[in-house]
Amino acid sequence: MSVFALDPAYIGGFGLSEALILIIKVVGAFGLLLVAVMLMIWFERKLVGDMQNRIGPARAGPWGILQTLADGVKLFFKEDLRPAKSDRLVYRLAPYMSLVPAFLVFSVVPVGGNFTSGDGTVTWFGNSTFLQVADPHVGILLVLALSSAAVYGIMLAGWSSGSKYSLLGSVRASAQMISYEAALGLSLAAVLLQAGSLSTHEIVAAQGGWNWNLWVTGLVPALVFVIAATAELNRPPFDLVEAEQELVGGFHTEYSSIRFALFFLAEFMNVITMSAIIVTLFLGGPDGPVLTERASWIWGVVWFFVKLVALLFMFVWFRATLPRLRYDQLMDVGWKFLIPLSLGWLLLLGALRVGRDRGWNTAAVVVVCVAAGAAAGVLLRLAVRSGRRESGELADAEADAGEAVNVGEPEKGS
Amino acid sequence: MGQYLPVFALGVLAVVFCALSLAASRLLAPRRATRAKNLPYECGIVPGRSAPERFPVRFFLVAMLFIVFDVEIVFLYPWAVAHGSLGLFGLVAILIFSFAVFESFVYLIGKGALEWGPRGDEQPGGAQRRATSAVVRLGPERGEPGMIAEAAENLSGAPSSAATQESSTSAGRP
Repeated sequence: MSVFALDPAYIGGFGLSEALILIIKVVGAFGLLLVAVMLMIWFERKLVGDMQNRIGPARAGPWGILQTLADGVKLFFKEDLRPAKSDRLVYRLAPYMSLVPAFLVFSVVPVGGNFTSGDGTVTWFGNSTFLQVADPHVGILLVLALSSAAVYGIMLAGWSSGSKYSLLGSVRASAQMISYEAALGLSLAAVLLQAGSLSTHEIVAAQGGWNWNLWVTGLVPALVFVIAATAELNRPPFDLVEAEQELVGGFHTEYSSIRFALFFLAEFMNVITMSAIIVTLFLGGPDGPVLTERASWIWGVVWFFVKLVALLFMFVWFRATLPRLRYDQLMDVGWKFLIPLSLGWLLLLGALRVGRDRGWNTAAVVVVCVAAGAAAGVLLRLAVRSGRRESGELADAEADAGEAVNVGEPEKGS
Repeated sequence: MGQYLPVFALGVLAVVFCALSLAASRLLAPRRATRAKNLPYECGIVPGRSAPERFPVRFFLVAMLFIVFDVEIVFLYPWAVAHGSLGLFGLVAILIFSFAVFESFVYLIGKGALEWGPRGDEQPGGAQRRATSAVVRLGPERGEPGMIAEAAENLSGAPSSAATQESSTSAGRP
């Protein structure tokens, strides 16, 4: 296996069989995503219904499974309004900018293959290939770049609508998403430390045979990543972006008809792809017991989807259980807890690995790291306290200044 | 670049999907826009003010801080991937770098740059507020917290006839 794993199908020349593989993979991923979103929306509504002691959708198709399709068809027949104060071009562009990155993230996720006793390749039309749409050198960077690009769709949608609820929702969304992007990126670095590569295939291959990053990196990066991913997806309990009670619908308040449906599609597609990324990074991807020797790659697909559904269930469970955070709590958790924690944990893992290579005493390394971490924690705690005090004094000064100005102005309407 | 061709193809497919849905909606959806329909949504009333052009500076502050951490991540990833060959030198370098970033992070937290919440002396949900707003107003006895404690003592000490009655009825319900 090469140091930088690349999908072997696309390395050599590009002939008919390579083109066939490409078409099958791309169309397959496209169809899979659309069907998965349809089922995910149904799954979420049904499950939340069960958790709230209701029935949930039950009319369209068996167990209401076609409810999403019916909703989508209905939205095609709804009037497409464009608010008078909106920015015409950006308002139309925003749904594209939201949906296209959602599709693309899935292209680097390995969905199958035998990683326990093989190298994860399958043979199609005489070409060996990976069971993922593409495997660029920098797969993880592609994921991060696309999840950052998704912020643009939300930001521009809110800004271009010309409505105060949309604008507030989108400003909140951008601040929240970039805050948690930092925590997301830092916790991910621990996985890169373990795998020594940015390629998703290599990351999964390094976890083959139950060496899952979930416990190999010591649980903390995985927990930080799941929390940051929930915030990044604007899922409850971090759904301040579309807090219905205060912001109507957030950034998509002014969107109707199929444009609204595209945002909705993008949102649920992001939930699915982010769960798939978590499976890839921390849960070993398609790794799992291979029960038959013939067509052993099938088991990879089976285990991948089992893990994926488990994570989707977790996200729905979050929604049904946890109340929404306040905005200051959201920012505090992200900046003052998750970011320092994941940075410290990364340095601990790095020190342990370098220490192992050079034959240092592991216990001594741990003691030194824990002491340094405790010192950093105390420092941070002091800083938080001083910050509270400072901002209080600042608010006092502002209030005084505001009163002074108000006194000087003549009152309106008197 | 061959490895990016499928990503590009999927992107094209996604754009085509968007365009086709919008075209279908154009063909199928009615178009009866009125002036009232095109106003910004305001829960049914005529909007009094247009959307604000400016928003709090704190949001910009978060964006600028994010750049600091993004730059840190940009330096951390190559080290994370190549830490095996960099060895002790890489670890020391990244520790110095992380210390520099962490120290400035502590400074700006200490300056209150990431304070969003209510001020320190008026924490919502604090002991005072809980005692005066939630318990007393919702409880059956309006008055001092001491009165509630008294009433609770009375209840537990000598269970009233109403309480026993209710427990017996609820037991006999099924």
